Amino acid sequence: MLKQRAQSVGVHVILIAYSLLAVGPILLVVMNSFKARRAIFGAPLAPPNPTSFSLVGYAKVFNASHVGTYFTNSLIVTLVSMGLVLLFGAMAAWALTEYRFRGSTALALFLSIGIMVPIRLGSVAILRMMREAGLNDTLTALILVYVAQGLPLAIFILSEFIQQIPKDLRDAARCDGVPETRIFFEVIAPLLRPAIATVAIFTIVPIWNDLWFPLILTSSDTTHTITLGVQQFLGEYITDWNSVLAALSMAILPIVAIYVIFSRQLIAGLTAGAVK
Amino acid sequence: MAEQLSQVVASMPRGRFLALMALFLGPAVAIYTLFSIYPLIATISLSTYTTDNAGAYSFVGLANFVTLLTDAVWSKPFWNAALNNLIFFAVHMAVQNPIGIALAGLLSLSGLKLKGLYRTIIFLPTMLSVVIVGFSWNLILSPLWGVSEGALKTVGLGSWFAPWLGLSSTALVTLALISVWQFVGIPMMLIYAALLNIPEELIDAARVDGLGDFRIFWYIKLPLVLPTIGLISILTFVGNFNAFDLIYSVKGALAGPNFSADILGTFFYRTFFGFQLQLGNPTMGAAVATVMFFIILVGVCLYLFVVQRRLRRYAF
Amino acid sequence: MATLSIKNLAKHYGETRVLSGIELAVEDGEFVVLVGPSGCGKSTLLRMIAGLDAPTLGDISIGDRMVNGLAPAERKIAMVFQSYALYPHMNVRKNMTFGLKFTGVERQEMDRRVAEAARMLQLEPLLERQPRDLSGGQRQRVAIGRAIVREPDVFLFDEPLSNLDAALRVSTRVEIARLHRLLRATMIYVTHDQIEAMTLADRIVVMNQGRIEQVGKPLDLYYTPANLFVAGFIGSPAMNFFKSKVERIADGRAHIAGPAVETFVAPASAALGQGASVTIGVRPEHLDIGAPGAFAAKGTVELVERLGESSFAYIRRADEQMMVAEVRGRQTPSAGDTLSLGADLADVHLFDEAGRRIEVATA
Repeated sequence: MLKQRAQSVGVHVILIAYSLLAVGPILLVVMNSFKARRAIFGAPLAPPNPTSFSLVGYAKVFNASHVGTYFTNSLIVTLVSMGLVLLFGAMAAWALTEYRFRGSTALALFLSIGIMVPIRLGSVAILRMMREAGLNDTLTALILVYVAQGLPLAIFILSEFIQQIPKDLRDAARCDGVPETRIFFEVIAPLLRPAIATVAIFTIVPIWNDLWFPLILTSSDTTHTITLGVQQFLGEYITDWNSVLAALSMAILPIVAIYVIFSRQLIAGLTAGAVK
Repeated sequence: MAEQLSQVVASMPRGRFLALMALFLGPAVAIYTLFSIYPLIATISLSTYTTDNAGAYSFVGLANFVTLLTDAVWSKPFWNAALNNLIFFAVHMAVQNPIGIALAGLLSLSGLKLKGLYRTIIFLPTMLSVVIVGFSWNLILSPLWGVSEGALKTVGLGSWFAPWLGLSSTALVTLALISVWQFVGIPMMLIYAALLNIPEELIDAARVDGLGDFRIFWYIKLPLVLPTIGLISILTFVGNFNAFDLIYSVKGALAGPNFSADILGTFFYRTFFGFQLQLGNPTMGAAVATVMFFIILVGVCLYLFVVQRRLRRYAF
Repeated sequence: MATLSIKNLAKHYGETRVLSGIELAVEDGEFVVLVGPSGCGKSTLLRMIAGLDAPTLGDISIGDRMVNGLAPAERKIAMVFQSYALYPHMNVRKNMTFGLKFTGVERQEMDRRVAEAARMLQLEPLLERQPRDLSGGQRQRVAIGRAIVREPDVFLFDEPLSNLDAALRVSTRVEIARLHRLLRATMIYVTHDQIEAMTLADRIVVMNQGRIEQVGKPLDLYYTPANLFVAGFIGSPAMNFFKSKVERIADGRAHIAGPAVETFVAPASAALGQGASVTIGVRPEHLDIGAPGAFAAKGTVELVERLGESSFAYIRRADEQMMVAEVRGRQTPSAGDTLSLGADLADVHLFDEAGRRIEVATA
């Protein structure tokens, strides 16, 4: 019994230590963003107190950059891309699992290439295409690329999920005379809800955090995403510690908030998706 | 027996069936083909062209690749980036994946309290943007701020401190470790999920046989999750040979000092877009992307045809 | 309501013949049970009647309408699935009305039908509930209710009781029988459970390896099985079989004996000629201890299963095979006892070399 207890304590010590290593740096940045410059350097490990508290960094960020626009852009790009990935991905996954036809296996293989091969490697041609189509420096360009990037994995995950839906259900619907399109939209699609969390995490996070495509496809302030905006702001104001820490915190906090709220579903989705 | 097409579908008029398939598959296949597969092929094809000053394209066969691999102006930075990339990958394999597996092993111990909390916290950095992570560590490791030095001093290791990100001897490994810090959550989660899949009865049987927790992990759990370890290895490989964001945001496109942290992603960016004095060169950029594509392809094929075939999957 | 007729139906998957030569005529209002071991093709047959699978050959008619090529919804059938197949995201009422939306039933008519079905199945308090909040038995009733509101010509049931526990299975079985009386509808019911088949059916269709072995009323199958398969399939524990031979014919009586058969004397007939190989079948419940009748056999008890009302004695025969005898009452044999067993001529079944029944005059 004693040995077991000692072992259990040991396990917790290791996990707590690693947890500190994981959140420590984030905490350090967020904490110091609320402090005056003197306190940032004088006592970096101390939390802000009434004398050291300051929002000067945040004020500067708001004045000197288009944070609001960047944030809206990121939101639009991420949500629209995710919606389209889910819709088109679910439709394709349903068609590939339910309607076997000549070439459906080949098509499924073709669609799965994108799981392993990064779309980034086609950037040279993507940029050319977007320029020719007049989509350069638009959010549409980003959305199209992100949908293409997200679809393969979404189709893969959703297909696995659809296979677990009892076949009797669609038979019952067919006995009821439900048209094929409505079988998908009214019987199958509502049942995919649990898979959405999994697909969403695999879609949203890479899009929200992506630096590459905004960097090559957008060139003006009005189309920058938050990740690119913050990156450029940081590069410009590298010596202004208050602003840099504030900008970092502003990028960190919304993600942390969303993550904490949805962590249960996200992790459940992640582990469920990972089983296969 | 292969599942038969339902009579309802089989008896559908051909035109209607095609229309149905076009409706369901059309959007996904169109967007994916147009913006993922086509650009990839176009890029590979572009790598066999060159442009003159007027912007006219002409076919040169494999000349770009010959230049890239043999002309000292190109080959030196290319091989430097490729070697650095290999080191970057090696650090992930040697540090990130073992730590991820160990953490998953600890989290999967039965009866462990607070495992949800630990899992959530350890996975947190993975959710953040690489840009943010890179910059945060840039500040933390900066000698100007002195946080790291102070932290090391409190544990009596103050003399160890050095501006790691600034020294050409340590910059690459430091960046790799930052990346490890951020992404350790992914192997942890995948292995954790695989471990959960092992039936509890199997673990109980081993315990009845007198095995302790460590031996159960080493002799029972680990062999059973080998396929997942194979999967995280290939995911790490693809992710690393495609990495860019971290090094670009911490060190800029020059990946200095003296290109010591340059990897294929940053080299590709510089070649394609140009940087400072160097002019952008789309066809050479396409050639670099093509080489990266083949490196990743070889890795994936190796995984699919060698690693995955040797690792047995167990059905529980 | 309608009749159902199936003519020369077959289903092949490539080289595999799942069903062949199926002929069946079901009368209006009849309850027909398709029974057979798993893989015998009964579910495939049901799915083809429903229009979910396409036959390779043959015709299916419902009423006087040929339905080949018609979609399930156009056939005026309703199906109750083994897994119930309730739409998990719709409440009970929506589950029942969802299919009606597509067949052009008026709102008021829908409500009337749902109310009636709910009353019939005591579903009224459950109408607004979600499937996940229902017990197995309740789900089953909803699945049946969903079939009823469609007012189909033919009801199709695919092993509807196999996901229920033993007690519920009995009560739901009674419920389905009551419903059939009430609705007077044509029903086709697939099961592998012979008790369900015996208790529910007007007529049973016994299937094996893609063919129909026998069609008949439950007691007809029990008392006059057409062949060895049906004889062995209907009844539990299964009928005992004895390989034997007609040794001699004397005074118009055939004397039959085999390695495990002491004596058996039956009226001679064309099928019972001198030297003919036959199989004798006797059900465990018809073997009496120490009461030699027209049939007599002997063996040593190896095991006795005591069920209370009766016991089953597992007896090793002279040919080293086992036979089972049902013993009633408190006095049960014990392992090691050597028993003489007998049976009346009327309870003995005879089958020829091809396994077909030989009619024996019992008068």
